[in-house]
Amino acid sequence: MDESKPSAQTAEVVPTKVAAPSPSDKLARLNAPTIIDINNVDFYYGASKALHGINFPIKNKLVTAFIGPSGCGKSTLLRCLNRMNDLVEGTRIGAGSIKISGVDIYDPSVDVIELRKRVGMVFQKSNPFPKSIYENVVYGLRLQGINSKSRLDETVERSLRGAALWEEVRDRLHTSALGLSGGQQQRLCIARAIAVEPEIILMDEPCSALDPIATVKVEELIHQLKQDYTIVIVTHNMQQAGRCSDITAFFYMGRLIEIDATEKIFTNPTQKQTEDYISGRFG
Amino acid sequence: MTTRAHPFRRQATVAALKETIVFWLLRAFTYVILGFGAIIFSIIIYKGSPAVFGSIRFDGAFPFIHNDFLFTKPQTLHIFRYKGELKQMSAAQYYAFTGEGTPETAPAAATPEQPLAPAVHATTEVVTPSPARATNAASALLAPATPTPPAETPAPSAAQPKIDPNDITEHETYSYAAGGIWPQIVGTVLLVIGSMTIALILGIFSAVYLSEYSKQGPLISAIRLAIVNLAGVPSIVFGLFGVGIFVIGMGWNISLLAGWFTLAFMVLPVIITASEESLRAVPRGFREGSLALGATKWQTIFSNVLPYALPGILTSSVLGIARVAGETAPILFTAAYATSDKLPWELSITPNRMHSGFLGYVEYPFLWIHDFALHGVSALPYHIYVVSSKIPQNEYTERVQYGTAFVFLAVVMAIALSSVLLRIRLRNRLKW
Amino acid sequence: MSPSPQIKRIDQRPLREAISTRGRSLVPWLTKDELIKYFFGANAWMSIVVLGLIMLSLYSESIGFNPSRGFFGENYRNLLVYRQAGLEFVDILKKETSGIDGLGKYLADVRLKELLRLIAQGKRDGKPADQALTDANNALTPFDDYVNRLSTLGDPLNVIISPLGDAATATRDAVTDVEHKKQEKELYLRSNKKELADQVTYQEVDLDAAVKPLHDALPSIQDANVKLAAGLALFLTQPPPALDETMKAELAGFNEQVRGLMAVLPTYENELETWNPHLPLPWYKGVTDFFFNTNWLTASSWQNYYGILPLLAGSTLISIVALVIAVPLGVGAGVYINQIATPWEQHIIKPAIEFISAIPSVVLGFFGVAVLGQFLLQLSQWGILPHFSSRLNIITAGILLAFMAVPTIFTLTEDAINNVPRSFKEASYALGANRLQTIWRIILPASLSGVISAVLLGFGRVIGETMVVLLCAGNSIQIPPMSDGLMVLFQPVHTMTGIIAQELGEAERGGIEWHALFMVGLFLFVISLGINFLAQRVVKRFKISIG
Repeated sequence: MDESKPSAQTAEVVPTKVAAPSPSDKLARLNAPTIIDINNVDFYYGASKALHGINFPIKNKLVTAFIGPSGCGKSTLLRCLNRMNDLVEGTRIGAGSIKISGVDIYDPSVDVIELRKRVGMVFQKSNPFPKSIYENVVYGLRLQGINSKSRLDETVERSLRGAALWEEVRDRLHTSALGLSGGQQQRLCIARAIAVEPEIILMDEPCSALDPIATVKVEELIHQLKQDYTIVIVTHNMQQAGRCSDITAFFYMGRLIEIDATEKIFTNPTQKQTEDYISGRFG
Repeated sequence: MTTRAHPFRRQATVAALKETIVFWLLRAFTYVILGFGAIIFSIIIYKGSPAVFGSIRFDGAFPFIHNDFLFTKPQTLHIFRYKGELKQMSAAQYYAFTGEGTPETAPAAATPEQPLAPAVHATTEVVTPSPARATNAASALLAPATPTPPAETPAPSAAQPKIDPNDITEHETYSYAAGGIWPQIVGTVLLVIGSMTIALILGIFSAVYLSEYSKQGPLISAIRLAIVNLAGVPSIVFGLFGVGIFVIGMGWNISLLAGWFTLAFMVLPVIITASEESLRAVPRGFREGSLALGATKWQTIFSNVLPYALPGILTSSVLGIARVAGETAPILFTAAYATSDKLPWELSITPNRMHSGFLGYVEYPFLWIHDFALHGVSALPYHIYVVSSKIPQNEYTERVQYGTAFVFLAVVMAIALSSVLLRIRLRNRLKW
Repeated sequence: MSPSPQIKRIDQRPLREAISTRGRSLVPWLTKDELIKYFFGANAWMSIVVLGLIMLSLYSESIGFNPSRGFFGENYRNLLVYRQAGLEFVDILKKETSGIDGLGKYLADVRLKELLRLIAQGKRDGKPADQALTDANNALTPFDDYVNRLSTLGDPLNVIISPLGDAATATRDAVTDVEHKKQEKELYLRSNKKELADQVTYQEVDLDAAVKPLHDALPSIQDANVKLAAGLALFLTQPPPALDETMKAELAGFNEQVRGLMAVLPTYENELETWNPHLPLPWYKGVTDFFFNTNWLTASSWQNYYGILPLLAGSTLISIVALVIAVPLGVGAGVYINQIATPWEQHIIKPAIEFISAIPSVVLGFFGVAVLGQFLLQLSQWGILPHFSSRLNIITAGILLAFMAVPTIFTLTEDAINNVPRSFKEASYALGANRLQTIWRIILPASLSGVISAVLLGFGRVIGETMVVLLCAGNSIQIPPMSDGLMVLFQPVHTMTGIIAQELGEAERGGIEWHALFMVGLFLFVISLGINFLAQRVVKRFKISIG
């Protein structure tokens, strides 16, 4: 099962189909061009192999969900996509390559900093900095040396609106971000991520620490964001994957078991393991 | 079933008795420690505070409140009988009184000048503050029975003695027992500032490396091992190290500079450990969040890690200050002079250029830095050592002994207390 | 609410181009971030560099990179000169006279006891004090005569020793002088100052000629020894005049001592006859002498010794006293605060004890000099403590050092106990154990290695402490007489740290004493490393055992 092939025929790039896809038009969307191409990736934590020959493409401006039981490697793979795993000692890509827009991101010539500017990330535990809401949002811009007030103000409003947080915090932009509720903090982190205008947003179980109402808000947000961004989301919650993703990849024990259109995975999986997991027989 | 007979009633067992006894014993141990500490504090405060608070004096001259114990230089105490009457005088008073003295001292004593002014004095053995100050310094310790010489002692003429030397009998002198401890305070402050600056810079940078950059490996384990072992090296060995490397190796001789580096290296492990702990206390999410936004490592550390770790680093480093201020052994042979009749900024600048070990030739405009840094200082801990071991213990020397100990203890304890309080505040404030 | 469809990126380059261009830097082969990293790394290396420099400076100033110029080499020469110049020969002779002095001391002790008895007797008989003293002294006159006669036995020997000693020291001084000049010359030659080197002239000391008087004195020494033996034999036949039975009993050991002295006389004589200044000194003597010589003697007109034993003994005894006091207090307080105390006590006492740890050692030392020593002496005068004479002694220093070690031991013990998993404690309570049983059977064993390492680090702090021992240990270089039992604790001693602090300031830079003091420092350094190492090992084992 090392090389499970996506059953949907998605390998062909059809660039003309990109313009304004509507959420209902699922089939059309599945034919979107590939933006991230994961090629036979092996990944190691020290001596132990965490990912075995992962091989599939991620489509532009679609929501791809990674599901699977704990420890199946889905978060690891996600963190490979913006090289956050570089920060963990003793990790390495053993074989294969990950290409974003055709560039191998593990190539020595790649600037990790630029990569991370273009591939944003939202973490499992919301991690706003102990600064004001405003400063949290503009942090990424300030890093790039942008200090013009009008530019920053504009970005803050646009990002917070984008993260559906503007109405709630517009009157207290300069109070501490730590005073927000859990759901608001997570949406602030999303706002912070989109403030630097990435092309891809990686979300690592963004709702696992949130209550149901906050979860709904974040999911709605994901729906809006996918008009502009490619989103990869790792989730434990199968309903969530079903609700907000276009494509779902199921991982088990460090291997990709199955990847397909979300509806197909949830209604008619080809693999027995996928079916067992989705029907709640394990995991 | 009555309440008394139920199976869970409290019974007087041997085990319970043993428990009570042992607990009381342990409690006694704890309070013995505290009691001993309290005794030390109260004796030193009781006997030492009069020297400080007794010499507070108000007068019209700026800055209106004067303290002759804290802000004048030490002097030799002269005890003698003049026509059968017991007198206690500081060296300056004594020479004013007898009219003796070297040509240098007499005019100096005669012209009232601010002893603290950064003036360049001629080299003299005897420290000579203005007569008014000196008089009051002594008056603080004079027994009620001994009359105080009037503050308006007329300026003596240098040439002829005013009194018959034969009238003076039973003349005894005690070094350092009169005057104050100003040079010692200055020296301690200078040592602390200099060495803490060096230690903080080196320590924080090392800690940043260890906590943010380093990866597990033999080199890092070697660094950590070195830090742990450095922390256990006795302070006197640091003193020897300072002698070997700075005093002799670098040719700095006994100097402020040698003291700074010796103390800085001594306190380095404390600073590194404390800083690393504070850096590690900054949540991982701060770093990841910043990096995921495309910040470079340095941007992340500088804008999103260090600012949150800095209060913790500084708080823990205050304990390092207490250690630097409190240690004597490392400065014995590297920085401390028993008698330094000049404050570091009063050192004379004679030649235009001079050769100085590693620095090569030093030209005139920088000579004062050279004199400042390459000259030893007095320090409070060293002064305590000197006055408690080199001069006898009696009623006359008690003032300077307990007074210095009191001032020193107060300074170090204030530093330690502020560390404890800061830590409590920090713990309450920083929660993420 | 809907986000703007058109996103204007700051960086207009396409993704592909943006990520495949590396940032520029000052140095072509390093990124800016790497530069910063290496800058920080260099600082971290400082601690290794410092540790290395400490070792380097200690080593180069003690053993030295040229060992023959370092301490061991110099000590070897020191001992060699001692032999070559004949000081060794004279010391053998001195042993004989000190044997006679020993006899005199024995008798003087007996006399003192008898005198006190007689005075007490006289007072009981109603005599005034001074009358009693005079009478007692009168009664002892025959005994005094006897003692005086005995002491004259050594006179012939002393007459011989005195000039021989002068000759030997003169030879030694000449040899060391030549040694110095050789060094000076070598130094000039090495720095290419040939003219100056030529000005340094010296003449090798003819050792054979120098020790000739010693050999020549042998016949007269043998003669004196014969006289001495005869004299001693005579004293054997005339026991010292005892005034009463008690005194007689006390004098019983006298004959034994005289016989003992007579028995060793031939041995000494033999040693003198076979003494040979050319006998080679084993190469390791310079080293072993440092570790096993029981004397540390500097600035002596006769012979300097650099043996660490008395200093080690002092340091060890003080540390033992300190630990015996500090371990129960520190561990007890740690257990109390962590397990028994009320939260209120915890909040107050923990910072208070940390606060105590900040008291500077020199203040504690001053407290010992000014208050504690005097207080202990007062206790002794009131009969609460046994009689002793020096207020600065092992126990004064030990108490203060214990006070210094308590916070260290307390804090680390408390930490160790804190690290014991809560579940252990809860499981024990659930089985019906009371608090003491839980502490004694579960918590202490589980935290034992932490406590042990706390004690070790406390020991490290105590043995490395300088100012307290310098001020309060009494600074008398001796191995205190262990035969006194616990009274040994009231002896003044000197310590390794104290000797460095006291003598380094006066030692000639680069001289043998200087090297010896750095050698002591090196020894201390090695001890502290050893303690650290042990403590870490203990803690490591602890971590494994908890899982």
